[in-house]
Amino acid sequence: MTRVHVTCTINGDPAEFLCDGGQTLLDALRDEVGLTGVKEGCGTGDCGACSVMMDGRLLCSCLVLAAEAEGSDVSTVEGMASGDELHPLQQCFLEGAALQCGICTPGFLVAAEALLERNPDPTETEVRYALAGNLCRCTGYDKIVRSVMAAARSINAGAGSGH
Amino acid sequence: MAVRVHLSSNLRGPTGGVAEIEGSGANVGALIGDLERQYPGLGDALRSGVSVVIDGLLIAHPQYYRLADGAQVFFVPQSAGG
Amino acid sequence: MTITEANPGYKGYKYVGTRLIRPDGLEKVTGKARFAADLNLAGQLHGAVVRSPHAHARIVSIDTSRAEAMPGVKSVITGDDFPSVDPGHRQYDMCVNIIARDKVFYEGHAVAAVAASTLEQARAAAAAVEVEYEALQAVLTIDEAMADDAPVLHSHMLTRGAEPPAEAPSNVASVTRFSGGDLEAGFAEADFVVEREFSTKPVHQGYIEPHACVADTGQDGHTTIWCSSQGHFNVRSSTATLLGWENTRIKVVPAEIGGGFGGKTTIYLEPLAAALSSQAGRPVKMVMTRSEVFRATGPAPCAKIRVKFGARSDGAIVAADAHLIYSNGAYQGAGGMLGAMTVFESYKIPNFAVEALDVVVNTARSAAYRAPAAPLTAFATETVLDEIAEELGIDAMDLRLKNAVKEGDPSTMGFPLARVGFAECLEAIRSHPHFSAPLGPNQGRGLAAGYWFNIGESSSAIVNLNEDGTATVVTGSPDIGGSRASMALMAAEELGIDPHDIRPVVGDTEAVGFTDITEGSRATFATGRAVVEACRNMVIELRGRAATMMEAEVGDIDWVDGHAVYTGDGDSEGKEPLSLAVIAGKAKRTGGPLTATGSLEAHGAGPSFTVHLCDVEVDPETGVVSIVRYTAAQDAGTAIHPSYVEGQIQGGVAQGVGWALNEEYIYDSDGVMENPGFLDYRVPVASDLPMIDAVIVEVPNPAHPYGVRGVGEAGIVPPIPAVANAIHSATGCRIRDLPMSPVRVLEAITAAGARANGG
Repeated sequence: MTRVHVTCTINGDPAEFLCDGGQTLLDALRDEVGLTGVKEGCGTGDCGACSVMMDGRLLCSCLVLAAEAEGSDVSTVEGMASGDELHPLQQCFLEGAALQCGICTPGFLVAAEALLERNPDPTETEVRYALAGNLCRCTGYDKIVRSVMAAARSINAGAGSGH
Repeated sequence: MAVRVHLSSNLRGPTGGVAEIEGSGANVGALIGDLERQYPGLGDALRSGVSVVIDGLLIAHPQYYRLADGAQVFFVPQSAGG
Repeated sequence: MTITEANPGYKGYKYVGTRLIRPDGLEKVTGKARFAADLNLAGQLHGAVVRSPHAHARIVSIDTSRAEAMPGVKSVITGDDFPSVDPGHRQYDMCVNIIARDKVFYEGHAVAAVAASTLEQARAAAAAVEVEYEALQAVLTIDEAMADDAPVLHSHMLTRGAEPPAEAPSNVASVTRFSGGDLEAGFAEADFVVEREFSTKPVHQGYIEPHACVADTGQDGHTTIWCSSQGHFNVRSSTATLLGWENTRIKVVPAEIGGGFGGKTTIYLEPLAAALSSQAGRPVKMVMTRSEVFRATGPAPCAKIRVKFGARSDGAIVAADAHLIYSNGAYQGAGGMLGAMTVFESYKIPNFAVEALDVVVNTARSAAYRAPAAPLTAFATETVLDEIAEELGIDAMDLRLKNAVKEGDPSTMGFPLARVGFAECLEAIRSHPHFSAPLGPNQGRGLAAGYWFNIGESSSAIVNLNEDGTATVVTGSPDIGGSRASMALMAAEELGIDPHDIRPVVGDTEAVGFTDITEGSRATFATGRAVVEACRNMVIELRGRAATMMEAEVGDIDWVDGHAVYTGDGDSEGKEPLSLAVIAGKAKRTGGPLTATGSLEAHGAGPSFTVHLCDVEVDPETGVVSIVRYTAAQDAGTAIHPSYVEGQIQGGVAQGVGWALNEEYIYDSDGVMENPGFLDYRVPVASDLPMIDAVIVEVPNPAHPYGVRGVGEAGIVPPIPAVANAIHSATGCRIRDLPMSPVRVLEAITAAGARANGG
């Protein structure tokens, strides 16, 4: 079978990979590109573990064909930290004990980053609804929600002092 | 060692329903041997899937657990977990 | 000299009780952590499983020839490729569940497996395996299984515990009976007697990571398995049993585990992958789909429960009778027995009787799920207690305080309880602001308690000191909720070094001593004890090395805050305190590498009690129940890492709320699961829940050096009755069938309204 050649940007770097026509972006990111931080929990768009950003949109990479990524800008959990500096969300998840087993964590981080870009100062309810597409079975969400709100405060405080 | 044996209610078939009996043995395995001699069938009932509680301590695999004279030995079903 | 024996529960610790950033956290927030499905080996094949479309059928024949001829296919296996197993074998059920032999017992039961170059090829070949079935009548419910003319699933299964002994096989796997006092006299003494029936549906543990593994068999037959499990030593022994191999032929490397909750205490894929790899001579990767996870793994048993309680007008429970029937899926399980051990365990009831049956039906083999069986017995006991309190005009909290077990009270099994923290948990909730906060319209408040035994079992640990004074702590316990952080804290406390200088790791089956499964809330208790023992052995060694360096007697050296300190009467010249790092740096000159081990069978697991308070708001138009406030107090003994104790409590609450309100397996009339995905099997999402206030109560367990009780499981026990009691408080309706879905709640409200209107 002829494979599809995809050229795109992944986590800020130019990237190219070959995929099958029917392959999902999730499988291509994991198996062709090696970004296994993108997790598969269901394969049907119900759990959010495979959340990525594509051209500024949050989506479940299991519901997108890899070939659709042609020319797009994709970002995953692997691209969140800058150099040795963690994203405030990552730091707050660590400090807030927002993960137990950690399988859902990459999806939550990507979804939370999408939320904070859209809404830098969300209420608890807004956080809960924004993350309702991501399943966590360990934490009861309490520490995740708190950590997202702490990250928002941290980012806003940094922005305030920096400018 | 002479000890006082307490059987949880599901283990009393071989004793005809008696809950507390006397037995002896240097360890729990020997005690079970003694109980089997007194109450045929009780040994089998106590050898698998059964824990003991001695002095408030739950012991899941008690065969070689040493017994002190006068100890109170409670035989109970083994628990599990998730 | 004496090593300072940590005073149980003493809170003057330097590191224990602090909120260390978990050592494995960085990898998990950057996407680097390796879960089982994240590993790929060069030349690896992909496996797929052929599963039964029937809930109950005899396998007439399996023809693999067409599949074997398909492109990319390297190996096809069936039950015939495994040694036969006798029904009397301890692990018979596990063996024939992993791959069916003569019969299939549920829709989704594995009958064959294929390995091919690509996953697509493997799936295509699996679809081409031709299995001829002779369909048998399926029994799907408890009532069907126990009907006089019910088809018998297992012709070898005689009811254990039956009196007189069972002579003919049936679908009742076992009967468990407990009793105490005089039931008849007890009920005669009661001023109020209430009898109620409850029913529940199977639910799944719902871990987000599907089962996955990679197996790689070398030319010498030695096989390495990377997998996600709650116990890799169990994966090794179970795989060895199924394949008829020696343990030494298999190395199991624990990947990070993406949730288990009891569902990964057993195995499904590993022997299949090992057999396929062995045949093909290539590594084989197998990953379940979510549908396979739902259909072929885990559900917790469901139950039918009837309880009868008798109380005096002063609120004393004087008699209780319970009849429990647990459906464990296709093979015998322990749901009923564990239910019998928990149904009355929280209360001092002088006269009681319990009879519990475990039955088999044609649904997936059930697996442990967090405090197995106890949430269902708590549903019965705690909602009926609420009813008694209401009837007698006694506050629900006072009723529980009056009857709560305490140290010395007899357990259902007869032994006197050791020190437990039930009353303390009740008091913690009573003094919490939530307890007296006002409620809004359509809101109600429910109180419920729960109990879990916790277990001990075997654990091993190794402590290696590095040349620079840092330490590596290796244990055999897969870390499903942050246990590595707890191990680092306990080791730091013992050794007197900063926990950041300790690297806690989970060793593979060839790197550390045997360790039982992470289950029964045992890791921080039992493996923690092994770590403490290893560290104390290390301190003995360090004192000896310091004695050599100081030219002193070891008996004159104490270990104080990470330093060897000379305490003898002699000349102290040249005997300044030596830090652990200094001693470690000179290890080559004082006797060689510094390594110590701890391994033990941990007696004395301390039971954990917990009390929950839940506020709900019920929409009278739709029956939708919203959780608006939740507080849970639990006895942790001592919280080694408070954040992860809170996390266990909060996670248990969320799962329990899902069990109460939404989750259920739905089968069609042929036993095919109709909702094998997270869209239709609805677990709680972030917008379904409020913050969950976790209150840690600390009544130390005397059998642990820091007083630890297991905390992983008890938190799932009270939510179902807490929600049910809250719904009653909001609506006046008692719902005794799970889940308490909007339809069911609305029906109850409507029926109550009709009754009130004289309908």
